[in-house]
Amino acid sequence: MPREHEPSLNEKQFVTQALQENLRLDGRELDQYRPLELTFGDQHGVAEVTLGKTKVLARATAELTVPYPDRPLDGIFTISTELSPMTAPSFEVNRPTETEVLLSRLLEKTVRRSGALDTESLCLVAGKQCWSVRVDVHVLSHDGNLTDAACVAVVAALRHFRRPDASIAQGVLTVYTPAEREPVPLSWLHSPYCVTWSFFGDEGATALLDATWLEEQVRAGSCTFSMNQHGEICQIAKLGGVPVDAVALLQCASVSLTRVKEISDLVDRRLAEDLKRRDKGGFMAELRAENDR
Amino acid sequence: MATKHHVVLPGEPIDPSLIPTHPKHPLRLGPGLRHIPPEDIVPTVAGQLITNPAKNSMWIEYNSNRYIPSQNDLVLAQILRSTSDFYLCSLSPHTAPATLPHLAFEAATKKTRPQLAPGQLVYARVSLANKHMDPELECVHPGTGKADGLGPIAGPGCAFDVSLGFARRLLMARSREEGGVGVLEMLGGEEGGGLAFETAVGRNGRVWVGSESPKTVVIVGRALQETDRLGLGLEGQRKLVKRLVKEVK
Amino acid sequence: MTVSSAPEVAFGVLPRADGSARYSHAGYTVLASVNGPIEAQRRDEHAYEAHVDVIVRPAAGVGGTRERHLEAILQSSLSQLILIKNFPRCLIQIVLQVESSPENDYVNTKLVQASLNFALMPTLMQTAILALLSAGVPMRATATATAIAVSHDKTVVDPSPRDVETARSVHVLAFTSQDDLLLAESEGDFTVKEWDDIYEAAKKICCRPAPDGASMQLDDDDSSPAAVGPDLRQFLRSTMESKVAADLHWK
Repeated sequence: MPREHEPSLNEKQFVTQALQENLRLDGRELDQYRPLELTFGDQHGVAEVTLGKTKVLARATAELTVPYPDRPLDGIFTISTELSPMTAPSFEVNRPTETEVLLSRLLEKTVRRSGALDTESLCLVAGKQCWSVRVDVHVLSHDGNLTDAACVAVVAALRHFRRPDASIAQGVLTVYTPAEREPVPLSWLHSPYCVTWSFFGDEGATALLDATWLEEQVRAGSCTFSMNQHGEICQIAKLGGVPVDAVALLQCASVSLTRVKEISDLVDRRLAEDLKRRDKGGFMAELRAENDR
Repeated sequence: MATKHHVVLPGEPIDPSLIPTHPKHPLRLGPGLRHIPPEDIVPTVAGQLITNPAKNSMWIEYNSNRYIPSQNDLVLAQILRSTSDFYLCSLSPHTAPATLPHLAFEAATKKTRPQLAPGQLVYARVSLANKHMDPELECVHPGTGKADGLGPIAGPGCAFDVSLGFARRLLMARSREEGGVGVLEMLGGEEGGGLAFETAVGRNGRVWVGSESPKTVVIVGRALQETDRLGLGLEGQRKLVKRLVKEVK
Repeated sequence: MTVSSAPEVAFGVLPRADGSARYSHAGYTVLASVNGPIEAQRRDEHAYEAHVDVIVRPAAGVGGTRERHLEAILQSSLSQLILIKNFPRCLIQIVLQVESSPENDYVNTKLVQASLNFALMPTLMQTAILALLSAGVPMRATATATAIAVSHDKTVVDPSPRDVETARSVHVLAFTSQDDLLLAESEGDFTVKEWDDIYEAAKKICCRPAPDGASMQLDDDDSSPAAVGPDLRQFLRSTMESKVAADLHWK
């Protein structure tokens, strides 16, 4: 098992020492994100998020399947997170590391369990046929703060995604190919985003946002807030680490909300731009008018 | 530079007219070239073919990120752990560890050898590099027994990763004229307002920047990384230095 | 959506990998990262040569036997190109992430199990080679690859998914920069005569002589428009030239 490369003693000491003076290696403010960029692929449901040197690609797909027997009225929604050696040679195929497990659990809680996607709308015939929506998260490059970047990618990919249209006439299910009928977007209820804080110092006195990989390796603790732009908290994860003052954590939560609003604005803007780009030439518009019922 | 750039790809034949001929010196092949007996010389990497007729040598100039040890290179190594006779050091992530004997320091004896903790950075010279063996390092000049600036790196400062090509340019004797990097001079000079710092450049793509003031370390480190990443020329470097100094102060 | 068939490449997409390239051609986009030479694990360690590890990851779903098959083909081809004897006991790791493939508007594909696609092979191969070049891994030669589908006595270069579906046979061929055949994989029914034609057609695509060569006029006799693809070798050269120029801007 190849081991992850540890930062040197000199680097660790310097990062901690500089943070005491509120100084980060890349010159950012403590609560400042690296430039966040979101692009969509040619196909629907492909979103790539770049956060500094961190890069995450998410791809949403759908296929027909049978619902789980205990939930006959719900479609299936899964998020699959697998870190490949592309992320770093220390990640092996089919051998999940702690990073990978934590990331997938956080995404699961943030997006799936918060009911962001209306799974009932994915059901076609109760107990018989439903859509299985799957998001594959590919971490292409890891320079810290995977959670926040991956969450944006998952949400953006799902909101960008179009599944094939289907109809039921006289008990017969017809699924239309893209050539027959314009695919339809998923029924999306709200967009939760993650904001991760990293704490430094004995008491977690220094809190910063969007830690780089080096900062993550040196930090004393972390806490992830997941919320939507309305300030509704979906989950808070503080997995061990130094104890942090509860009042400071409240302060973090309110700053998180402003960040979530910024991220949310960016995603909405990029989605609107992409829609405009696709509508060019009136080809799509024409198809849509045809299918309007 | 004088003639056109000869970009070569692996396996491409080299025009015989480009191969230097010298009556006395034997032909020396540098990185990126291999000799297939009897007389074929073939590039193995994509880069620019450089020839030096005076020394009868030729090599391929290219940039990469993965350090391959070569004898007499100065490197910034990181101690992984200590064994009974030597330290195991890492030159780049995920590569086989290099060995640094406990006695390969200035005036080191069994009793006075430096005690280095795992994670400590050392500035060392590659004393042995062979593809069949793990590389060996030393922190002392084997002839004079002097450290010559090598040894454990102490004091406040931080290490920054740069590309191998940039590290090589920084190490050039006349880096401003030949390598086109004047960023360190500028930081210490007029443009940077006379920042006080020291550096140790490793051929393995790591640069240590030391200074009493963390701000200075951050400025210098960012200036180096940005210059490398954006491929700045001298004028661009000047602007960058001015901007960074203003931003951080 | 219109799919541009002209090849496109971007280097250094992944700042933390030793080498990386994102290459798109004929509707396929593949991202490759190369790390190496790094320390091989005990089970992969070879005393005299480097182990080349190729990992193909589908855009959606988990990799299965089809990906393993593609990996095996690429692994043996790339091991021939890389000078593995230079790095004993080392590992050269190539990860190929498929990002997008052309859609077939007439079928709802079962996306979770991406089909084995010979049409994808040339893109995978080309991306891997570009990433290896960007990582500066020493190689014996470069290579160019192409896919050809045969249906109703018609040959299609860089077939679309629909072409592959209707084709009688699909072939992938790769040639090194020394014009040697590096890889030939075929699927479906075909005659020896057909294979010979395919071999010639593929060779014409992969081993087009440099445009400044005098022999160019002689080869210009092919009239079948289907056999004309982009000049891959010229593409490889010109992209590498601009990359080297950017890397050595200070020279």
